[in-house]
Amino acid sequence: MLAYLRSTFNDTGSVVLFTGRFFKEAVGRPFEWNEFIKQCYATGNKSLPLVGITGFIMGLVLTIQSRPTLARFGAETMLPGMVAVSLVREVIPVVTALICAGKISSGIGAELGSMKVTEQIDAMEVSAINPYKYLVVTRIMAATLMIPLLTIFSDFVGVFGGFVGFNIHSEANLSRYFSLVLTSVDFIDMVPATIKTFFFGFAIGLIGCYKGFTAANGTASVGIAANSAVVAASFSIFIIDLLAVQLTDFLTT
Amino acid sequence: MKDESGYLWKLGMFVTIGVILLVVAIYFIGKQKNLFGATFHLQAQFKSVGGLKVGNNVRFAGINVGTVDEINLITDTSVLVIFVIKDEVQQFIKKDARASIGSDGLMGDKVITISPGTFSNSRVKNNDVITSKTPIEMEDVMLSMKSSVDNAGIITGQLAKFTTNMNNGKGALAKLISDEAFANSLKGTLVNLETATGQFAKFTVKMNNGKGALAKLTTDEEFGKTLDSTLDNLKTSTKGLSENMEAAKSNILLRGFFNKKKKAEAKKNAELQKLKEKKLKAAADSIKVEKE
Repeated sequence: MLAYLRSTFNDTGSVVLFTGRFFKEAVGRPFEWNEFIKQCYATGNKSLPLVGITGFIMGLVLTIQSRPTLARFGAETMLPGMVAVSLVREVIPVVTALICAGKISSGIGAELGSMKVTEQIDAMEVSAINPYKYLVVTRIMAATLMIPLLTIFSDFVGVFGGFVGFNIHSEANLSRYFSLVLTSVDFIDMVPATIKTFFFGFAIGLIGCYKGFTAANGTASVGIAANSAVVAASFSIFIIDLLAVQLTDFLTT
Repeated sequence: MKDESGYLWKLGMFVTIGVILLVVAIYFIGKQKNLFGATFHLQAQFKSVGGLKVGNNVRFAGINVGTVDEINLITDTSVLVIFVIKDEVQQFIKKDARASIGSDGLMGDKVITISPGTFSNSRVKNNDVITSKTPIEMEDVMLSMKSSVDNAGIITGQLAKFTTNMNNGKGALAKLISDEAFANSLKGTLVNLETATGQFAKFTVKMNNGKGALAKLTTDEEFGKTLDSTLDNLKTSTKGLSENMEAAKSNILLRGFFNKKKKAEAKKNAELQKLKEKKLKAAADSIKVEKE
């Protein structure tokens, strides 16, 4: 029990140290631009189809599922607005972050883990390249910036999915649908939801990097690093979401 | 950099489109109104806007032509509402158009409805103030509803009183409904009436088909003819009789008797006259006495 607690606090402490080191290294020069852009491409562009399709399906499904309840009150015109608000506020950010946790966090964890295991990181250090700057900072920065962008793409695709779902039973052209959406969606829906995705992205990148960077020796630890990165990232997304929503609620009412 | 250029433009495009989408979203949410392009402004004053919000629709002839742009309090009893309207409809809105606030369904948003004027021919200009109609507030509806509900309460109260009276009362109508004895007597009456009508029915049947004198009198044609001829005979015979009588008067033997009869009649008349006079006198006397 004591050993367990100790290892838990050990982990927490090293995560904090890891985070502190990230900020220190991120500010200091030089910044690895090429690697950063490569990572942005890998996290942003490569995840776009996955995130887009997920967002589309979420919009479609949420519309179809919400219709019967609203139709009972004869308030079907409120459907686009309601679906859009729930998409923008909660569903799209969280689903996008979860998808990215699965794709990016595990990828980073496995990549860095295998580099660690095969001692490539040590080799980097020997060849006077700061592995932390080169591997960790770029990846965390890329994830932090790309997740919000992906979320915005997904917002639009999701609302479009809602449009498709709305047109299964009702008739509304695109401009009418978007005007219905825009009457409901406000800054207060959009801004906090977008801000919290930065934190989602940061958590995804940080946890992937941490798990990979601190992988033990041996091939098995690569798998463990990838797996635990996904689990921890997904879990931390929900924790951050809980805090963000509480904070938004507290600040806006 | 050469091997990077393969994906660099894709990343650039991804980021650019993402940022553009963000800007577009912020722009439209921020404006939250006309996606339509060229617009102009109209204003109207209301006493109360009944929950109208910035961004609500403006309708003209049932078409959404614009949105509410600003709602400002001017004094404690008037609110200035400024709304933006598509340029295309400017030519249709005349200066005497009137704005009213309605609601889009029972639960829906408030909308401003512009009703066209009738007399004016000049179209509105930018920032014109048009007249307004006070909106029908839900409270007013509830208030009028309340008065009718109150009336209904009074009516049902009266009805309850009425029915109580009917159940316990002494009036004819109440007796009709609740008094058993009355009902029994009524029933007896009706039974009697039934027997009476039954007898009457029998009577009429007999009258129609019967052999008795009365029946024959009403129904038998031959009997009628016989009666007729009998009467004729009677007529002729009475005529003959009166002639006989005339003859008898002038007959010497009977003349004395007839003269006597005449005299007695005259005497009787004179006595009657006397009696009348006496009575009149007595009446006059009694009036005198009463006066004294």
